[in-house]
Amino acid sequence: MKKVLGVLVTLLLLITLAACGGSEDEDTSGDNGGEGTESDGPTEVTAWAWDPNFNIRALELAEEAYDGETELDLEIIENAQDDIVQRLNTGLSSGTTQGMPNIVLIEDYRAQSFLQSYPEAFYPLTDYINPDDFASYKVEATSFDGENYGLPFDSGVTGLYVRTDYLEEAGYTVEDVTDITWSEYIEIGKDVKEATGYNMITMDPNDFGLVRMMLQSAGSWYFEEDGSTPNLEGNPALREAFEVHKAMMEADIVRLHSDWSQFVGGFNSGDVASVPTGNWITPSVKAEESQAGNWAVVPQPRLEVDGGTTASNLGGSSWYVLNTDGKEAAAEFLANTFGSNEEFYTTLVEEIGALGTYTPGTQGEAFEAGDEFFDGQSIIQDFSNWTEEIPPVNYGMHTYAIDDILVVEMQHYLDGRSLDEALSNAQDQAETQLR
Amino acid sequence: MKKFKRPLTYLFLSIATLISIYPFFWMIVSMTNESVDVTQGRQLPGTHLFENLSKLFDQVDMVTALTNSAIIAIASTFLTLLIASLAGYGFQMYRSKGKDIVFNILLLSMMIPFASIMVPLYRLFGKISQTAPFLGIDTLTAAFLPTITTAFFIFFFKQNTKMFPKDLIEAGRIDGLSEIGIFFRIYVPTMKTTYAAAAIIAFMNSWNNFLWPLVVLQSPDKQTIPLLISNLGSSYAPDYGMIMSAITIATLPTALVFFFMQKHFVAGMMGSVKG
Repeated sequence: MKKVLGVLVTLLLLITLAACGGSEDEDTSGDNGGEGTESDGPTEVTAWAWDPNFNIRALELAEEAYDGETELDLEIIENAQDDIVQRLNTGLSSGTTQGMPNIVLIEDYRAQSFLQSYPEAFYPLTDYINPDDFASYKVEATSFDGENYGLPFDSGVTGLYVRTDYLEEAGYTVEDVTDITWSEYIEIGKDVKEATGYNMITMDPNDFGLVRMMLQSAGSWYFEEDGSTPNLEGNPALREAFEVHKAMMEADIVRLHSDWSQFVGGFNSGDVASVPTGNWITPSVKAEESQAGNWAVVPQPRLEVDGGTTASNLGGSSWYVLNTDGKEAAAEFLANTFGSNEEFYTTLVEEIGALGTYTPGTQGEAFEAGDEFFDGQSIIQDFSNWTEEIPPVNYGMHTYAIDDILVVEMQHYLDGRSLDEALSNAQDQAETQLR
Repeated sequence: MKKFKRPLTYLFLSIATLISIYPFFWMIVSMTNESVDVTQGRQLPGTHLFENLSKLFDQVDMVTALTNSAIIAIASTFLTLLIASLAGYGFQMYRSKGKDIVFNILLLSMMIPFASIMVPLYRLFGKISQTAPFLGIDTLTAAFLPTITTAFFIFFFKQNTKMFPKDLIEAGRIDGLSEIGIFFRIYVPTMKTTYAAAAIIAFMNSWNNFLWPLVVLQSPDKQTIPLLISNLGSSYAPDYGMIMSAITIATLPTALVFFFMQKHFVAGMMGSVKG
């Protein structure tokens, strides 16, 4: 009996181990990417990205468009963005290239923190691309120490999505909201609320996207040009962004939301009259088909500080090649598609509405085509023109850390603390935290 | 005064029940609605259940993810129970000099957050990959191996073993059973309810585990359910109806395990051996 038990336990153990190790033999593909570089077969290249309808689809289209010399076997792995960050951080800081991909998509705000923390881990693309072909703000975000590490991908160019029917009800036209300042925006918002009862904007108090949009539109950021010295206290753009934020709250034209689904719900349900955000929101706006013809997109309002423009960026990401086996093939693949193929960018626009930042690839019929949902406006062409005007800034290593500090100080400011005190507190915290 | 006590109790309990059940209600209702309805907070059941489900099974490999999660959860539950109960039994039943010190060190290890050992652990598995790829990074085995010996379960079994009568062990020894025999043939059957309670917790922990599988499992065919759901929510325009369907399906196994073992679970928490 004893023996039987012993055998049973051993068997169970073996089965569990075997079941788990089962398919390992034939499938170690993701492990080291392109180990077969020198052999005759296609080079294996692994890529990590998020969003199946956007980035993943773009990679698939790139694979179809690829006509380079090296034969490639591209494996695209879908991961949520936060998950990619977590995996990269764990993998790179443990110094193990095992399991790391060849190509990875990184959000521009986070790029510097990866490039500066793990400079050895990335493969420079300087020899593969011509930086002048890309929007300058994008090159700034993806370069470090004189080398271009990232291949700039999608534009996060911003715009102000407006409900034309609500504006009309309040006596405004689309021209009236074009090229305005944020104070004018607030005044219009008050009138819209009075006439229609709807709020002008929906906002998440914990998401500083709007403030970042305002900052970059004025060519400013949380940091000095070195990307590491916090520039909060004496930053005129940030001051005005805070003031605008408070003025909006006091004018009672803000609908509050606390997560992405409520944000999307805000304009899908028709609760707000405008949405200032990145162009990637277009599919979500168009998801509510009953509102077709009632939307228009205009440049975002500007700050009244020196250098204030109506062009800015929110989000957007770029492709990076990790310094592992198969890096040459991966870099060649990117350079051949995202880096030089103008037709490919037309396909991107036609198939997924993805707006690139590759300047030669921003012309053509696909860009000029009017969008019925936006009452015939050629929004792609508009966005593409605005992309050229986005002021370049150095996002630095700690954008999100500063966000967290400012969110709290903003609450204090709204609760009555003076702006000077709030910003100088933020400056102190930033300096202690990021030393 | 006494007359009012009962209705008040029920009122309070009803409110508490409503609050705790509401998220589940909303999850199930949202499963039948379109994404747009979910974002607008629709509370009524809709007609998109089959659409959501078919989209889900079309777009992502639910079956593989469920299988992976099941393999990991079952293997990890089985090994956790085996190792933790052996250790707990040993710590409680045998005399040894440094026993208490070792046990205290073990308890201290409960205070180390997993995130802080993740990088060294990843490094370790990277090394293992080079000699034994079937145990290394990107294998299901690697996803549960670090979680099978936890101080919590050893402690749990040690505490419950306190109730286990030493006389039974003596009786076993007199009848000629080996020490291992006593464990498997006397201890394990007697402590059934403790095992059941531990099994539920271990299964739930493993089923919901996110961080370590996220880091160590990279290929899509190794994906577990929490990883799959995390991916679903990652697009710029997430489909909430579909996500809710996935979450409902992911919740079912833990709910079922709990319902079937509820009786044992309660008994196990109270202690296996009735005094």
